[in-house]
Amino acid sequence: METIRPDELADLQLKRLKWTIHQAQNVGLYRRKFKEAGISPDDIRTLDDVEKLPFTSKKELQAGYPFGLFAVPMREIVRVHTTSGTTGKPTVVGYTRQDLENWSELIARNMTMIGLGEDDIFQNAVNYGLFTGGLGFHYGAEKIGATVVPSATGNTRRQIEMIEDFGVTAIHCTPSYALHLAEVAESMGKTLDTLKIGIFGAEPWSESMRAELERRLGVKAFDSYGLSEMYGPGVAFECPEHNGLHLWHDCYLAEIIDPKTGERLAPGERGELVITPLVKEALPLVRYRTGDVTRLMDDECTCGRGQKIARLTGRSDDMLVIRGINVFPSQIEHVLRALPEVGEQFMVYIDRVNHLDEMTIEVEMSKAGFSGELQDLTRMQKKIANELHNTLGLRTAVRLVEPGSLPRFEGKAKRVIDRRGIL
Amino acid sequence: MDCWNRDIEGMPTEELRRLQYRLAKRLVSRVYETSEFYRRRMKEQGVRPDDIGSLEDVRKLPFMYKRDLRDNYPDGLFTAPRDELIRYHVSSGTTGKPTVVGYTKRDIENWSESLARGFSSCGLGKGDVFQVSYGYGLFTGGLGVHYGAEKVGATVLPTSVGNTERQVELMQDLHVTAIACTPSYLIHMGEVAEKMGVSIKNDTDLRLGFFGAEPWSEQMRNRIEEWLGIRAYDIYGTSELSGPMFTECAEQKGIHIWGDLALVEIVDPATDEALPAGEQGELTITMLQKEALPMIRYRIGDLTTLEEGACACGRTHPRIGRLRGRVDDMLIIRGINVFPSQVEHTLLEIPQVGKHFQIVVDRKGALDTMLVRVEVSEEAFSDKITDLMVIKRTVEHRLRGALNVGVEVELVEPGTLPRFEGKSKKVIDRRSL
Repeated sequence: METIRPDELADLQLKRLKWTIHQAQNVGLYRRKFKEAGISPDDIRTLDDVEKLPFTSKKELQAGYPFGLFAVPMREIVRVHTTSGTTGKPTVVGYTRQDLENWSELIARNMTMIGLGEDDIFQNAVNYGLFTGGLGFHYGAEKIGATVVPSATGNTRRQIEMIEDFGVTAIHCTPSYALHLAEVAESMGKTLDTLKIGIFGAEPWSESMRAELERRLGVKAFDSYGLSEMYGPGVAFECPEHNGLHLWHDCYLAEIIDPKTGERLAPGERGELVITPLVKEALPLVRYRTGDVTRLMDDECTCGRGQKIARLTGRSDDMLVIRGINVFPSQIEHVLRALPEVGEQFMVYIDRVNHLDEMTIEVEMSKAGFSGELQDLTRMQKKIANELHNTLGLRTAVRLVEPGSLPRFEGKAKRVIDRRGIL
Repeated sequence: MDCWNRDIEGMPTEELRRLQYRLAKRLVSRVYETSEFYRRRMKEQGVRPDDIGSLEDVRKLPFMYKRDLRDNYPDGLFTAPRDELIRYHVSSGTTGKPTVVGYTKRDIENWSESLARGFSSCGLGKGDVFQVSYGYGLFTGGLGVHYGAEKVGATVLPTSVGNTERQVELMQDLHVTAIACTPSYLIHMGEVAEKMGVSIKNDTDLRLGFFGAEPWSEQMRNRIEEWLGIRAYDIYGTSELSGPMFTECAEQKGIHIWGDLALVEIVDPATDEALPAGEQGELTITMLQKEALPMIRYRIGDLTTLEEGACACGRTHPRIGRLRGRVDDMLIIRGINVFPSQVEHTLLEIPQVGKHFQIVVDRKGALDTMLVRVEVSEEAFSDKITDLMVIKRTVEHRLRGALNVGVEVELVEPGTLPRFEGKSKKVIDRRSL
């Protein structure tokens, strides 16, 4: 499948696209959208006909909360993950047993592509649980027969001891955590000689970061791309050529569009990645707008695998990635609006402290809520931080400021100041 | 009887014992052939694989203890080749190094199979939405229950532990019907729900749950069942057995230990003699089918009783009663096992503190708290107050790293903690069930 001939691939994609459209007919939203667009599944005769189909936005996915977009009965759903929504409620994604198979298969492909196998000991240092990064890689690594150390995040000294004591050969984490790990290892005088491969994802990172990670950890560093709406990690992955990420075209139909006009862009042009999954049973999202900005690469890869996408560089929306967790400013606004003690204005500052992202939120108190008593302020601060933690799944520092002290905006508000620079 | 695996679960007792004998015999021969550790131990005991001529002869074999795992850290007791291992879990050891458990593919399958039988016996299956609120990662609770729930075809919601308000919200919104967590976390969740104006009994679809990793009582079961409107089942296991592995059935009359997977003995901890059914002693288990880390006659340290007669549910396998305590000084803090020796070991590595300490365990709301009082060394004590803050934070950080559980530290002056002649009493446990 990885080196399938282009004409065979096109046939397969078309067959599977038709199946996905058929599957989507089980979902009320799609029956309605197809009708509005005046299109029936029979109108899809070539791959280019996908352009006739309407897009799906994250908002629509969220509006179906929790199970409205599932295309199979709940009895067939064996897993649910959640990911950030743009408001208070998370986005829910579901998987059938076959979906879990497909997902593991894709991650197994990726890991095999970079030379991992049953002799390897793989430390999976990302969050398990609702976040797809942990369980996704766990199942994929198990499939290739590697020994999985499900270390999850945190307790960095223990992570380093395990790498040394177990002879760990490959690690998966966010690039910023990898840098933190390198620093702690250096301070402990550990060289982590067994480590050969680092898989880094969930946040964008640069070539200079790659050079630093490869030097300090003594690994080959690989970029991993995915999103929960398309199972999770595993959608695209670097091969040992380190020049772009192979997208698995037998499972995902990719388009690049102009985020403003929705027009499809020519090959090589940079724009928003739109994906129609070709094998997803539980949640077949048609022309899903990922919000990620990239381009389809023309150059053939010497490894013989299919068309690549360029490394991800940004977003077409205002989504932030904080320690690998996706955060929408609208979520913060949603939380704050629900609190009567808080005024209209807030500012978000993002910094990097010891290689780890820190988010600080300045909040104006409402005139009514501003008693000036230190005790009240401390209680309020705790409450806001707690509410934000519940919604974002992330700890933030909250600073309360007097009414009227934050900047006012005419026109488009610029409430987020990202001071991190490029990773 | 609704069974996941009827042939095994309802197997006539005699047949089951014959199966156990065959499996034990095979296991002993295999480890004698392939593992230096087992061969040496058996030779020291003067027993050979040929001496196992009946199931009772298993009693001729030497016991294993937690210290054997420590002494052979990390993988000296593994009996499968490295390329067949597909997972490591790590749990607390008695000192600095953790206990490492390895699994082959078959080990993971048997673990899930065991839980699938237990879950099904309580009526869980396809159509249930199962919230797994045990910690995921190195702790066996999360991934263990996850694989079992997936096997029976439930919809698994892997919330892991923490962010309790979000957990309550998801429980309600996603129509969760079943949950697994520690009993104290469940109670905490119930209290948080009430603060949010949500009654788990009236406002959610939750109908059953599996609770373990810490001891709980019949009174607690009654309270949980009535308050939350669910059926509450006990689940048991330790990482050395795989993880949480065995559950009660719908009868709630003890935990079924599947005889094809585990051979149970109850041993008098003082005399090492096997005790008859019904008498309380130390749970000792031989994992009959584990490939990577079989654990033969492993002294778990938990005190309980064994019930051998068939259960009213029709299953023939032996059951164990509620856990009645420990033979050693192990503490369970929020589902995590903690040995006072770990605390001692960690403190000895920090030069600014002395060797005298005291552990105070308490319960705040439903959740356990652990306070460690530590004497500062004479040199460090004469320094400024700011430095004491730094020492306190260092000790907290190091203890957290070693124990995997949050600890509060109180620094006290040198010479102020009680000294003991004879057996020291370093732990004050103020909790009651």
